[in-house]
Amino acid sequence: MHAKALRHWLTITAMAISLSPLAQAADYVGGDEITVLQGFKPGGGSDALAQLVQPRLSEILGVDFVNEYMPGATGAIAWTRLAKQSPKNGGTISITNTPMLMTNYIMNDAITYKTDELTPIANVVTDPGIVVVNADSPYQTIEDLFEDAEQNPGTVTIGNSGVGGDDFFTTILLEQAKGLSLKKVPFQGDGPSATAAMGGKIDASFNNVGNVYGQIQSGNLRALAVFSEKRLTSLPDVPTMKEKGVDVVAGSSRGYSAPAGIPDEARQQLIEAFETLAKDPDFQAQAEKRAMNLDVVTGDDYRAMIDQMESDYRGIWESVKDEVGR
Amino acid sequence: MDSSLVMIGLANVLSVNNIACILGGTLLGLFVGAMPGLSATMALALLLPLTFSFDPATGLSMLASLYVGASYGGSIAAILLRTPGTPSAAATVLDGFPLSQQGRAGEALGVSLFASFFGGLLSGIALLTAAPLLGTLVLEFGPIELFAIAVLGITIIGSLAQGSVISGLLSGGLGLLLSTVGMDLTTGTPRMTFDQINLFGGIDFTVALIGLFSVPQALTLIENSHQGGKVASRITDRLMPRWSTIKQLMPNILRSSGIGIVVGLIPGTGGDTASWFAYNEAKRFAKDKSQFGKGDIAGVAAPESANNAVVGGALIPTIALGIPGSSSTAILLGALMVQGILPGPNLLTDYGDVTYTLIWAVILANIALLVVGLAFTKMSVSVTKIPDGFIACAILTLCIIGAFAINNSLFDVGLMLGFGLFGYWMSKAGVSPAPMVIGLILGPVMEISFQQSMLIGNDSFGVFLESPIATVLLILALLSILQATPVFRWLRMPFKRRLKQG
Repeated sequence: MHAKALRHWLTITAMAISLSPLAQAADYVGGDEITVLQGFKPGGGSDALAQLVQPRLSEILGVDFVNEYMPGATGAIAWTRLAKQSPKNGGTISITNTPMLMTNYIMNDAITYKTDELTPIANVVTDPGIVVVNADSPYQTIEDLFEDAEQNPGTVTIGNSGVGGDDFFTTILLEQAKGLSLKKVPFQGDGPSATAAMGGKIDASFNNVGNVYGQIQSGNLRALAVFSEKRLTSLPDVPTMKEKGVDVVAGSSRGYSAPAGIPDEARQQLIEAFETLAKDPDFQAQAEKRAMNLDVVTGDDYRAMIDQMESDYRGIWESVKDEVGR
Repeated sequence: MDSSLVMIGLANVLSVNNIACILGGTLLGLFVGAMPGLSATMALALLLPLTFSFDPATGLSMLASLYVGASYGGSIAAILLRTPGTPSAAATVLDGFPLSQQGRAGEALGVSLFASFFGGLLSGIALLTAAPLLGTLVLEFGPIELFAIAVLGITIIGSLAQGSVISGLLSGGLGLLLSTVGMDLTTGTPRMTFDQINLFGGIDFTVALIGLFSVPQALTLIENSHQGGKVASRITDRLMPRWSTIKQLMPNILRSSGIGIVVGLIPGTGGDTASWFAYNEAKRFAKDKSQFGKGDIAGVAAPESANNAVVGGALIPTIALGIPGSSSTAILLGALMVQGILPGPNLLTDYGDVTYTLIWAVILANIALLVVGLAFTKMSVSVTKIPDGFIACAILTLCIIGAFAINNSLFDVGLMLGFGLFGYWMSKAGVSPAPMVIGLILGPVMEISFQQSMLIGNDSFGVFLESPIATVLLILALLSILQATPVFRWLRMPFKRRLKQG
């Protein structure tokens, strides 16, 4: 009787151990829990990434993830907190959206964090830029748009997701590359910009593939060109800007960064976790289902990507800031 | 509309699991709505991560019913305590609280519940039958049309100014002025932020609303608690409204529901705007306007049917086009995205099973609201038995929690308290906070859409006349302003004379 009861207890204990996440790999040096500072509201694009990535990372690292949402100032509140006020033990990280991460402080002196106060861990997705127009638009190809803009400088209206967002800068890059002058109409996010294009309120919207893919598939919007290195497998008929002689590759990327000065071991473990994640076929399939364009860049390479962007966008802003400020 | 998908949706929603979730969601919504400081959007945001582990249909049903419940729940605190439970119940305070002071709190709550039920049900039916049709209407509303709506909304300030028109306009003007704080959309320049990055995104009007309405009321309760006389209401009448009352209010409820559905449809405007529009129209159409602001039951029915009708209205573009009609539906759309459902026009086809489950959940949630709401309201009425001093402390605590929970920001708590003290001074000075809130809600919409319109129209004011919708709305706004001035009476005089002669 006694032995039976003991065995019974052993089974329960064994079950409890096997069910607890601690049992899997409790050796992350940053602790049992990682706080993720999210600079945007729950349910947005960053949150969608978090829900896809974090449960899987949790298994790999054997830690629990806690999301802390602190929206405001296009992410700057969360990133200031990350850079200036977070423990540097690897227990706090944040989803970092580029180029917003640097355009925030390039454009506003009041935002004081800098990317060298961060430890970039890994970029996860890059949503390439795309040019979309209303289904009834006279523009059948990107050349039609170029031609119209050449003949009527400063009147072709192009929607973007807001001053400082990737689409705003992509429009400027295109203007500089082709010597065009476009009318940039800022919206409060990619959604409203796409909606205005669907309603024919603006001539075109510079957007991101993930936001408009459904509308393109259903024929509400027509894609004219993408700002990616190569044609996208999801939109094989849409030419790249490079093909059209415009050397602009741009998009909106999301990844993870920690504060500067976290232990090397924690950094290494995090990077390895993202590398393992990138190879997971189930993760790849789920990302594809969500129209997330995986672009996993880890560690030093992610640092290089951020530094490159920072100098690029600083240059663009210097060249146009007087014109924008009017 | 694919009828098989409609039936699949109905069958899905009728599972024990989902009905339990709908009942639970409605109850949770009622609770959150009734708490001053906690709003539907906030509750959705807080509940959202919990639903990630649910089956999509179940999670959405729960979120939708929470939205429905909170849209009514806000009126309970508005009527009983003079503190709107949610931003969309702010208009309900104007007549709801005077009614409850007159001992007619039961009638006010009952009418509010039935008005919410009808508003919600009508919008649910519109959602089920006409979503694809009405959804395309949304595309007609660009920046130019949105500007016209904001202008029309601003004219409400004039008619809300009870007593002194000057103080009402002052309050509204202050609201508009405060709404300019934050980053300029077209240039990215921070304005009046004093290098404080917490102000870059502007002043969240929910923070201001909590401060302006709830804090002064709490302070007034404390002030009067020594005198023994109760400020908060006592219930002496029954909760179930008489059929004759409902019948008499029906045209008002139908009109307000229509307003709610349309305002809900348009992205950028939600329950907070719709309730003011409906209130204003109820007043405009009323034969006897003298009782408005002093306890007219129509002033409760209008905003409450409108803010519940917004739920279905805002879901129409969400499911027909993948464009959220309000900040709350943006969160619902986020829930879909997280579940791996890409928002877009294929929601009604490819993901029809989930979408129709959601639609049926909205309709069922309104029926649940009627049942659960009646019990919940009966219970919450006991709040009036608690001494005022305790209620005041509870309100202040909730204000602080609510202001913090919006953005997880302590700065917002300070801002809310600042607005609270200012609101207290305003109430002492006899200045109504309502116009200020309207200014804060519509100010950013008006400014941003104006800048966009100017960009689109190459800096010509003519763009507003090129759009028929905008032209009609702007003419309505002009008439609405004229109606408040003696000019209108002069204009009408010749017609009246002719009528008499005829």
